[in-house]
Amino acid sequence: MNGTEEKALVERCRRGEDEAWRELVDRFGQRIYSVAYHFTLKREDAEELAQEIFLKIFENLHRYDGGFPLVAWIVSLSRNLCIDRYRRSKREKSFRFVSDDAVAPLLTSHDDPAAETLQKERTKLLFSALAEIPEDLAEILVLRDLDGISYEEIGKALALPDGTVKSRLFRARAEVARRIRERRESSGGTFATIAAVAGAFV
Amino acid sequence: MSCGELERLFLAGAPEQMSRAHRQECVSCASLGSDLESAERILSGLRPPAAPKGLIAVLKGIPSRTVNCEAADLLAAAEVEGELSPPDQERLAFHRSRCEACAEAAGILRTSRELASPAPAPWVMGRLAATRPEKKKRSSFWSLVASPKGAIALAYAAAVVVMFSGFNPADLARKAGVARLEETAKTSAESAGRTLGDRIGAFEEEAVRRLAVWKGVATGYGRAAITRAIQLVMKTETQPPPRPGKSGEEKGMLNKDEIQDVARLTPPQEELKDNG
Repeated sequence: MNGTEEKALVERCRRGEDEAWRELVDRFGQRIYSVAYHFTLKREDAEELAQEIFLKIFENLHRYDGGFPLVAWIVSLSRNLCIDRYRRSKREKSFRFVSDDAVAPLLTSHDDPAAETLQKERTKLLFSALAEIPEDLAEILVLRDLDGISYEEIGKALALPDGTVKSRLFRARAEVARRIRERRESSGGTFATIAAVAGAFV
Repeated sequence: MSCGELERLFLAGAPEQMSRAHRQECVSCASLGSDLESAERILSGLRPPAAPKGLIAVLKGIPSRTVNCEAADLLAAAEVEGELSPPDQERLAFHRSRCEACAEAAGILRTSRELASPAPAPWVMGRLAATRPEKKKRSSFWSLVASPKGAIALAYAAAVVVMFSGFNPADLARKAGVARLEETAKTSAESAGRTLGDRIGAFEEEAVRRLAVWKGVATGYGRAAITRAIQLVMKTETQPPPRPGKSGEEKGMLNKDEIQDVARLTPPQEELKDNG
């Protein structure tokens, strides 16, 4: 869908066409829920946040002028909501002590239970590390690596040049990678045992 | 730690092979590269969480739960007239619970309807009552006196009576002015009479002021005398009978007395001839 089509869709939504709104939800509902989940790690909170985001979209349709890709505009519009929820989740230790249930919706299905267990532990480690890095870095890593939003769209949503987006993303990945390694080293015994059981690639 | 080359290659969009080649040569970047690969493996193994179907249905029903700001303005206008349906009232209320600007606008609208009527100034009602059309015209003497024209005529009559009695209102004003000048001069002289210089200055000033006062008095009396004289002249002067005008033939002709005068002054014709 190009910019003109996106603007036309928003215009139809603005005129009150229910069909247009349903099309918009079908197109972006899953993606926005995914973003919401990555910022909360709780199904209830993610649903609530996704509703908040779509309410905000609906109430601000008249502000969309087609200058942005629609997804970038949505991210820009929902940024404060996401950051607020992210901070609350960090305060509630949802990120520092990530539960199995929190990462379960993110795991790919495995025939091998041991591999599944290993992936679960590593994912928990990833989100714990993510909570330790600065917010502006974590935000970009979530949007790019977890939600697949392009550099250009992130740049427009966050009002940053492409170079800055890439630079922050590199630093975010390096910081998260270092923290993952350090944690793995500090709890090497447990992790090595899991890895050995799984026979995986650690 | 890294030498920074991996980041530079990443920002430049260099192919993966170049990064790998550098990592083989640079010990510090080899460690960072290993960490990055490990994180990348974790990230690539994840899938997006599936949105619950119930949530999608709820999201699609958002237009029935709320309105946008533009629609809120229209609904607010209908609300003032009391023409809002219960569902629209609910949508509007929900929107206002989330939108501060619209909630404030609604509050101001409500306040404007609750404002008290201002009390009129005391003179307004009388003036408004005076704008009523008259039922019948007043024709009595007193109604004539009460009318503006009657008031002007009375004022003229009073002025004529005062003038004929010899009383001149202008004299009162003049005398009051003279008295004020004298008083000012006296006050100035008293306040300035403390030192010798001041006394001399005050004396000079008083002399100048007294001169001005006398001059004003003289001028005032002079003017009063002239005014009085003009009034007397205007009172006593009788118009002379109009002189008969000369006809066109009479113009340039001398009367009998003038002819005799001319004859007396003119020498006889014989003398003129003798003298050549």
